Amino acid sequence: MLRKYVPQPSKREYITFILLLLEILLFGMIADNFLSLDNIVRVIQNSAEIALVSIGMTMVMLLGGIDLSVGSTMGIVAIVAGKMIQGNSNNFVVLIVAMGLGIILGTINGLIITKFKIPDIIVTLATMNIWRAMIFMMLGGKWITGLNSVFSKLTTGKILGIPVLLLVIIAFYALFYYITMYRPFGRHLYATGSNIQSAELLGINANKIKIISYSLLGLMVGLASILYISRMGSVEMTIGSELSLQCIAAVTLGGTSVKGKGGKGSLIGTLAGVFFIAFLRNGIVILGVPSLLENAFIGMLIIGSILFDFFLDKKKVAKAA
Amino acid sequence: MIKIKKLLTNVVTSRTSFLISLLLFIIIILSFSSPYFLSISNLLEITQFGAVLAIVALGEALIILSGNEGIDLSVGAILSLSGVLFGLAINNGFSMGAAIIITILSGILLGCINGILIAYIGIPPLIGTLGTMYIYSSLALYLTGGTPISGFPQYFRILGQKNTFGIPNQVLFVAIPIFIFTYFIIKRTSFGRKVYLVGTNDVAARLATINTPKVRMALYAYSGFLASIASIIMCSWLMTARADVGNGLELQAVTVSVLGGINIKGGEGNLSGVMLAVLIITITSSGLQIANVNSIWQLAILGFILIFAVLLNQYIVDKKVA
Repeated sequence: MLRKYVPQPSKREYITFILLLLEILLFGMIADNFLSLDNIVRVIQNSAEIALVSIGMTMVMLLGGIDLSVGSTMGIVAIVAGKMIQGNSNNFVVLIVAMGLGIILGTINGLIITKFKIPDIIVTLATMNIWRAMIFMMLGGKWITGLNSVFSKLTTGKILGIPVLLLVIIAFYALFYYITMYRPFGRHLYATGSNIQSAELLGINANKIKIISYSLLGLMVGLASILYISRMGSVEMTIGSELSLQCIAAVTLGGTSVKGKGGKGSLIGTLAGVFFIAFLRNGIVILGVPSLLENAFIGMLIIGSILFDFFLDKKKVAKAA
Repeated sequence: MIKIKKLLTNVVTSRTSFLISLLLFIIIILSFSSPYFLSISNLLEITQFGAVLAIVALGEALIILSGNEGIDLSVGAILSLSGVLFGLAINNGFSMGAAIIITILSGILLGCINGILIAYIGIPPLIGTLGTMYIYSSLALYLTGGTPISGFPQYFRILGQKNTFGIPNQVLFVAIPIFIFTYFIIKRTSFGRKVYLVGTNDVAARLATINTPKVRMALYAYSGFLASIASIIMCSWLMTARADVGNGLELQAVTVSVLGGINIKGGEGNLSGVMLAVLIITITSSGLQIANVNSIWQLAILGFILIFAVLLNQYIVDKKVA
């Protein structure tokens, strides 16, 4: 009986995948070294953090929320983890602390949003700046450099020729796909996202779902900051300043509907969105488009994909009528 | 006792009196940090830092006021881009007047793009203006190639760096007239009433035969217009046009609007409250600078004030309902 209500990825998400394939083919034909293994590995490395954080961002946006503070959160966690690595802490402890700190910072957002009923964007705009100030304070104008940890192997290592990072990303997406599609929490997430009143009438604790989603987002940010450290080997002041936009762009492109229309979309689409943007950034650099214009492309892509959604929606409505 | 309580509730529930008390409180606190702070000339001098924010915040406040989750995250980027265009126009031999007209027209055009996307196509304002924010700021960066544009004529300093009667020119001749004009439009014309109605109840407004997309479109265009005016002031103040000059301004504008009593859900609030909030933010940050507090903390304080302001708004709404 309940099986019928398992949410399914819609056509929209697969369209992103098709676009991704087309994009790879197109760039592959134009630029010689685009399809080389080195280049593909580099693209995966550079997008690993965005991929992980986008998992949490998808859940939050499914609820009709948004989180602008992920970049600053990543900065704080990275600084704490970086200082611990400098102090020769056990790697396992570093990982646990990073995850825990991420969860705490994410939960703070969730608690303020639900308990005080302040709009998501206002709260995360505020915490974004508060955490950013703490980053400046903790770094005091200096960089943390020379961070060589066991985790560095993560970014360069390969198993059977496949980059470990790619395996990590796929594992996390599989896990969270299972959670959002087949576990009660996931169904409650979709129910709350599509209609909060009816979800509450069903006995779903919407606030709890929201807080957990923000905590899980924090967890992913914590993990992402470990990846950041192992990739860069350093932490600087501006860490993560573009992370939130990049994640929102990836999630939107993947078909998760934006604020006001929660409950549509899935992690499959997000994964395709993440890689679409990653390959786009890489491809336009190879093609020789000025890198200063990169963000303009991303911005147009966000708007373009929403326009596309609107077009699809209108067609559907026309069919129904 | 009851009287005091009543007085306190009055102060808290009336936004204007609350903001004025907060402003006085901050001035008194900060006057301990430096004896120089409290002088009238210094306080007037400080207002120059608030002129740009005040102008941009007026547009932001109107957009939030018009409801439907209205917000404009691209104001900072419009300011950067139109400032860059202004600098390029001057450097390419246009006269000052022509350059100003080009800048203002480009600001209106950029605002109109937002307006079309949001009011007519129906893209959520948050995502729509996030997208245009990245497009505009990236274009600004591209046009400058990353290096600031200079080469403004010397007389251009008058607008941003000189005073008349001790009041900075950009405040006396630009910010105050624009505020009075906007205030008049919102309070005394039918368009202003429409803005409030659209913000309070979109459906009701449409049933009352108000062309709601047109109202919103006008507001986004006006916000772009104000951002371009602010960019000219900014250019005159710094005597350079930089592509990153508007970064973070959108946050400040939203903060100031919310602190000034504009309900984030639309339909409620007062522009004079927003101006008081601009004064509070400006005086606090220059006070902190005089007191040698690291300017980084202004970011954090801004964040706290933002949450505090929304909480206060909700408290006031609760009080009114009770």
